[in-house]
Amino acid sequence: MPAGHGVRSRTRDSFSRPFRKKGYIPLSTYLRTYKIGDYVDVKVNGAVHKGMPHKFYHGRTGLVWNITKRAIGVEVNKQVGNRIIRKRIHVRVEHVQPSRCTEEFKLRKVKNDQLKAEAKKNGEVVSTKRQPEGPKAGFMVEGATLETVTPIPYDVVNDLKGGY
Amino acid sequence: MVQPYVKAQKSKAYFKRFQVKFKRRREGKTDYRARNRLINQDKNKYNTPKYRFVARFTNKDIIAQIVHANISGDIVLAAAYAHELPRYGLEVGLTNYAAAYCVGLLLARRTLKQLEMDSEYEGNVEATGEDFSVEPAETRRPFRALLDVGLVKTTTGNRVFGVLKGALDGGIDIPHSEKRFAGFNKDSKQLDPEVHRKYIYCGHVASYMRTLIEDEPEKYQSHFSEYIKRGLEAESLEGMYKKVHAAIRADPAAKKSEKPPPKEHKRYNLKKLSYEERKAKLIDRLKVLNSAAGVENDSDDDE
Repeated sequence: MPAGHGVRSRTRDSFSRPFRKKGYIPLSTYLRTYKIGDYVDVKVNGAVHKGMPHKFYHGRTGLVWNITKRAIGVEVNKQVGNRIIRKRIHVRVEHVQPSRCTEEFKLRKVKNDQLKAEAKKNGEVVSTKRQPEGPKAGFMVEGATLETVTPIPYDVVNDLKGGY
Repeated sequence: MVQPYVKAQKSKAYFKRFQVKFKRRREGKTDYRARNRLINQDKNKYNTPKYRFVARFTNKDIIAQIVHANISGDIVLAAAYAHELPRYGLEVGLTNYAAAYCVGLLLARRTLKQLEMDSEYEGNVEATGEDFSVEPAETRRPFRALLDVGLVKTTTGNRVFGVLKGALDGGIDIPHSEKRFAGFNKDSKQLDPEVHRKYIYCGHVASYMRTLIEDEPEKYQSHFSEYIKRGLEAESLEGMYKKVHAAIRADPAAKKSEKPPPKEHKRYNLKKLSYEERKAKLIDRLKVLNSAAGVENDSDDDE
């Protein structure tokens, strides 16, 4: 019998619920609010059959472009052939999680604004650019003992003991 | 005596694979199926709260709350208890249908006062037992809440619907049908407002009092001793409840209790020991075991 390419083919493991987390889904998924322009992760919840995205989108992160009564429209990039298309899908809230990809950026933005405001007050110029990690500083090796290793001179009699 | 072979039912594997239900489900307190449907708010309504009108009965008290859900924990907007009713003149029968009506009425007036809508939405001042729904006023739309009965069996004439009726007459908009009010006739599919009114003014208790006085006066003395102590008779009940309703409408605001807060919180569960304390406990236990077994060398790690 051939392999079969149905919509949910090859999703046995990815759509299954994790160990000991089956059954009722916690209500916080329903209490979260999303705004247009938020980033969300698409992660399929196999317990809810309605509003499931196609398996391709499982694990993708996209932008919210629409919000309806029970579902969220997400814009996800998909490579089709030689180009990337921005695909718009609608997904029920159970299959969506708020993404933390911009969290670091948002925190840094707040901190930078703070630093710049302080610097402006003091009248100094501050660069808030991130610097890449440079080479590590030099250090002295502590507590090392020296052991000199020299080769033993070749001894014909001993070495041919095993066989010849 | 040979012990009969009992096959081990719950092996280590059983426990390893066991998935516990949610905590409140294990405690038997929350029906998550109902809670899910009550809380779920349309996503395109964003942060608009969905209020639930919670009515719960204990053996001696009635608790009514207006709650809205939050990820960190539900937030209670206002609450009313049956043990507050003595303040309004009702001291006995705190868990009957009439008291439930009073609690619902108290909670409704309290929330409306808190939201400064109480003059706009008077509700039904004279309790007639008919089905009453709030009409939207000119300036603000009525306060809407959804009834949350909990785990109670919703039969016709249940006291939770007494609380519901109290809130409706108080001026809160709660979607409902009259099918489950006391006095609904299943055959004619109609609510008999006279019967419902009787229940709201404790008429059912009054008629029981009358039958007991006639048939079993001793039982009447023992059963209704608190009523007799306060001089309440079957005929005076309705008048008393009318006064209670009026008192509730006059001053529904919650009163803070005068008791000073306890200096030290009473602990209801054992305090969790720290790592050092647990280690010390283990060492003590080993010491006792070793001395009991008579072993000379103490093998503790005193770290």
